[in-house]
Amino acid sequence: MGSRRMRMLESALAMVEYTSGKVFFTASSDLASMKKLKSAERLFLLIKKQLPIAVPSLSRGKILNEIQRLVNDDPGSWLKAILLWKELLECDAKREKVSQRDTNPLKRKVGENEIIIAKKLKVEEIQMVEESHREGQRDRQPKYYLEQGDAITKTEELQEQGSQNDLVKAADTENLEDLTFRVSCRCSGNIGKAFTTQEVGRVVGTALMKKFGWRADLRNPHLEIFMHLSDAYSVVGIPLFRVPLASRTYIQTAGLRSTIAWAMASIAEIKAGALVLDPMCGLGTILVEAAEEWPDVYYMGADVSDSQLLGACDNLKAAGLVDKINLLQVSVTELPLPSQSVDVIISDIPFGKKFKLGKDIKSILQEMGRVLRVGGAMVLLLSEDHHRHLRDCGGSSILLTSRDNITDPEVKMLLSPDKKTGPSDTASPSHKASSSRCPSTVLPCGWLVPLECFKVSLGKTDAFICKYKKAHASGLSPAGGLEPGPQPETATLQESPGLQDSS
Amino acid sequence: MKLLTHNLLSSHVRGVGTRGFPLRLQATEVRINPVEFNPDFVARMIPKVEWAALVQAADTLNLAEVPKEPTEGYEHDETFLRKMHHVLLEVDVLEGTLQCPESGRLFPISRGIPNMLLNDEETET
Repeated sequence: MGSRRMRMLESALAMVEYTSGKVFFTASSDLASMKKLKSAERLFLLIKKQLPIAVPSLSRGKILNEIQRLVNDDPGSWLKAILLWKELLECDAKREKVSQRDTNPLKRKVGENEIIIAKKLKVEEIQMVEESHREGQRDRQPKYYLEQGDAITKTEELQEQGSQNDLVKAADTENLEDLTFRVSCRCSGNIGKAFTTQEVGRVVGTALMKKFGWRADLRNPHLEIFMHLSDAYSVVGIPLFRVPLASRTYIQTAGLRSTIAWAMASIAEIKAGALVLDPMCGLGTILVEAAEEWPDVYYMGADVSDSQLLGACDNLKAAGLVDKINLLQVSVTELPLPSQSVDVIISDIPFGKKFKLGKDIKSILQEMGRVLRVGGAMVLLLSEDHHRHLRDCGGSSILLTSRDNITDPEVKMLLSPDKKTGPSDTASPSHKASSSRCPSTVLPCGWLVPLECFKVSLGKTDAFICKYKKAHASGLSPAGGLEPGPQPETATLQESPGLQDSS
Repeated sequence: MKLLTHNLLSSHVRGVGTRGFPLRLQATEVRINPVEFNPDFVARMIPKVEWAALVQAADTLNLAEVPKEPTEGYEHDETFLRKMHHVLLEVDVLEGTLQCPESGRLFPISRGIPNMLLNDEETET
């Protein structure tokens, strides 16, 4: 999901490659733009990426040798990356202090340095320096990679304390020789079976100490080095942010993880001027992600809980979105909104035993479907249980019944089940057929047609992002015609490999 | 609670049906928040507005200069759009009540958030 929907702001994106849970790319952006990446969890500056170590064919000793070679074979690439890392941080620190109008201070800074040196040279020589600077720019484009999902082990989580400022202070070390470092290794696939991460970490650490003279510091190092050895590649990188990208600067307390929230918002077809509702908004995570990206929209968040709403208020204040997101204390099963008044619904359906399967889910969907206008999209995050339950009983589409005896006078366009909005069809009215299927006191007011379903990992569990659209009831007859089609395939996105890297 | 939100809310006490709209507004604390004017956005909100309800609510808050209906060609009428922008988006009721016109049930507004939770007897099955 992240690789397809990755957005880079103000940078030249080149050479994108995605493999087994990582996205590799080059860019000439500054850290500020990088921080805005929405759908990825962690960003690294690439030191080295090469073919995997051919574990099955080598002895233990030889494998350890190969690991050492990652450090020893090409020390230049290590130094280059580390210098680049320092530059990125210094630029970012300067940018934080002074308001920059230039979008790429990194490029400018490098240029300036070269020109300053060149002032001592003659005119022709200056021109040559500028020339080679421009050529060098292309090679000097930093290489990065993004990681998704739960690549975080327990030790890595502990290391993630401390603020962004620490990384900046770290970059202040004048002398590269005074650098302290910490290596975190992740081994998966064949190499993970042969070695523990501690063993590999020790080997790499020792090699670094011998080669560069740096000291290891497990508590508060200047430089963090992450290494991932798998059956697909050997990758070494430097994390660029102390806190994962998924931890947004604009969210105080996250409920749902932000990458999932953003992804849900991005498939909900939010358009300018829309009314968007999250009827179980909790801390407001989904609404905040949506409002950051699609600001010209009227957002409403509803929850029953005082404490959640207080938390949501805090989040809105912290994000500066108090004007854009409007909170209500209401129950999702009793929404005080007129039928067909909302353009988009996005919601994280609570998981767990607290929410009984069956009655609760059905009544929630009924009410949400009621307030959604025909043609409107609904995106839900469902637990495996809820998803299975909805799929197994009640068939594919969900019939919405209404408490008000209101019939929609128009016969509207019926959305075709194969995910495309086709041209308007005047459906042959078959009110008789539809009303005879319903209890006598109510009339159907529409269908929720499932369109897409994505399986995502939430760490310990999996969940499903399901997208529905509301279709009109009239013209639907159970005997052929415009009956919504069979359940669409559940797609598994190219997502994090989860805890087991089975590449 | 913004007036655009009030314009959407209706009471869902059992048996009330469509007669639960509009809710009668009473405010004890109101704040005016400057909000960045986005004419396109305001123009898109206009078709959604229930005018009678809006005018009534604006009256109880003693707001001046509230248009009673959309003008012809309102999409390009900046004066009109700015007035609507102010009424719909910049007036925030922090403390007050909303009353169901049919049942008389009062719903409190506190810290800008209307509480419309019903107890079991009041909800429709």
